[in-house]
Amino acid sequence: MLEMREVSKVYRTETVETHALRGFSLKVDEGEFVAVTGPSGSGKTTFLTIAGLLEDFTRGEYLLDHVNVHGMNDNQRSRLRNEKIGFVFQAFNLIPDLNVLDNVEVPLHYRHMSGGERRKRALAALERVGLSARLKHYPAELSGGQQQRVAIARALAGGPRLLLADEPTGNLDTAMARGVMELIEEIHREGATIIMVTHDPELAARAQRNVHIVDGMATGVSEEPRFHPGLRERTAGDVSLPRS
Amino acid sequence: MMTPRPILSALRRHKIAAFLIVLEIALAFAIVSNAVYLVMGRLQRMDIHSGIDERDLVTLQISSSGNAGVPSAEADLAALRTIPGVQSASAVNSLPFTNSSWNSDFTKTPGQDATGYPATIYLGSRDLLPTLGVKILAGRGFSSDQYTDLTPATMLSAFFKPTQVIVSKAYAEQLWPGGNAVGKLLYVDKSQGQIVGVMSNIVRPQLSDSGTDPSNFYAVVLPFRVGPDLDASYVLRAAPAARERVLKAAVTKLQAMHPTQTVTKQATLSQMRREYFANDRAMAWLLVSTILALLGVTAIGIVGLASFWVQQRTRQIGVRRALGARRRDILRYFQTENFLLATAGIALGCAAAIGINVWLMAHYAVPRLPIIYLPIGAVALWLLGQLAVLGPALRAARVAPTVAMRAA
Repeated sequence: MLEMREVSKVYRTETVETHALRGFSLKVDEGEFVAVTGPSGSGKTTFLTIAGLLEDFTRGEYLLDHVNVHGMNDNQRSRLRNEKIGFVFQAFNLIPDLNVLDNVEVPLHYRHMSGGERRKRALAALERVGLSARLKHYPAELSGGQQQRVAIARALAGGPRLLLADEPTGNLDTAMARGVMELIEEIHREGATIIMVTHDPELAARAQRNVHIVDGMATGVSEEPRFHPGLRERTAGDVSLPRS
Repeated sequence: MMTPRPILSALRRHKIAAFLIVLEIALAFAIVSNAVYLVMGRLQRMDIHSGIDERDLVTLQISSSGNAGVPSAEADLAALRTIPGVQSASAVNSLPFTNSSWNSDFTKTPGQDATGYPATIYLGSRDLLPTLGVKILAGRGFSSDQYTDLTPATMLSAFFKPTQVIVSKAYAEQLWPGGNAVGKLLYVDKSQGQIVGVMSNIVRPQLSDSGTDPSNFYAVVLPFRVGPDLDASYVLRAAPAARERVLKAAVTKLQAMHPTQTVTKQATLSQMRREYFANDRAMAWLLVSTILALLGVTAIGIVGLASFWVQQRTRQIGVRRALGARRRDILRYFQTENFLLATAGIALGCAAAIGINVWLMAHYAVPRLPIIYLPIGAVALWLLGQLAVLGPALRAARVAPTVAMRAA
């Protein structure tokens, strides 16, 4: 599903060169649930922006669903992002001026989909996250947990191949966080491929596999992979350690 | 074009800002469409074809009083014709582009109760029409022996005698549409004149507000000679490119002939036209300045609001980009939003434009605003809006999708 080989990302200014990722390699198979952990500034977010095609990388190779994304122009990346990736952000990132239904339809607008089809998919996604009764509500009228569920519905509406979650419970209290995490696990059990960035070891422990990043490098698999019921067994060792 | 519904939903959450920009566009539309119409009216008036060959004409006037008595027009004209470069000369009671004219209501039947048709009366001398460049289109002109002298003492009695008349083409059409005016009779009360000729149109000295009003060309010529005692002027046709020299020589000659009298007016017809329309020109410039200022303020308003919204929505734009919007989708979002606001403003402005026009019609005798000004104004405001929003929209399109990843 996702394969990064020796990916590096260097941010350059006139005076400073920052290596955010250094020869980072990772392979995530279809249906996997991987947690990416690491301290602040370790490169977790950079990994997520590159994995989500939000920005290009400096060196290396990245295959998303067997498509080499290096050198793609902005339009190509936008299209691939829209069709294959669903995002769940820490801050939910719902559009405050749009109601729940319109928010979920946002990514579908960029697919030249008919109004009826958009509506159908958005309603199904909201049904999936249990928010069918809140279609006309605005984000400000919802709790944090509900907002994150809407964001998850928005990510699911397009039928993505990969769900990228950035600290999805970071802005939620414990009870809401539990609900959102259960939803993510449920989505995974239904077959979705999920990569979740988190600094919370407890949440990371709920993923099948953990990848720890320090100084832009994957330092290893923190524990043996676990398998959710219903998923096929796969071999461990997909994390390539950087050469030292 | 983006689907308008979500954009409208978002605008509903910013009612006051959206309403203010709609109002600004509506006001600009209403005022600009009326102002453009007024400017076009002024331009049309300034561009009116006088019906005379103005280019090489000069005119001068000598005061009627003086120690030496009233000058003789015939003697003056004979002297003026000797100036090198003078091709033709005539006296004339009034000329186009002055504020003085002789007018009368002519009727097709005798008596005070008959319907009158106002027209300007041109008087001069035998060479008046050739000097002005006015042609006889039907019938004939006056022969020399048909002219009689008109003086302050003989004026009233002269007008009550039967006479002959030459009418302008526009006036003939007004009186006998599609018919032949030659041989017909015209009356002023019980005084009778027979039409002997129809001439090409000559504009009346005082124009109506509309440059296209046919009554601007309602004119008649009567066979009366006039001179300085009736405040007549002299009009000279000069050889091409000789008009300034001819005018100077004519002034010198008249001053030499009448040393105790003053040349009260000297001008080329081109100067007279320029001066006559000075107010129209000033008004047109004032209106154009107002139009430009209004459009400028509207554009600034649009740029200001769009820039504010782009700044306010930077994160939202980043999120849209992260969710798959291309740069051109963001650009179109802001363009569509502006188009919707402009359309609302134009719709409101149409009603206001008609309202302003009705008010102008009632208070300033402005004609009805032709409906064509509304779609033209709408297109102009749409284009202005799109142009004004382009800068902020391009800035919005440059927002990187990584903005969505920043902490809120």
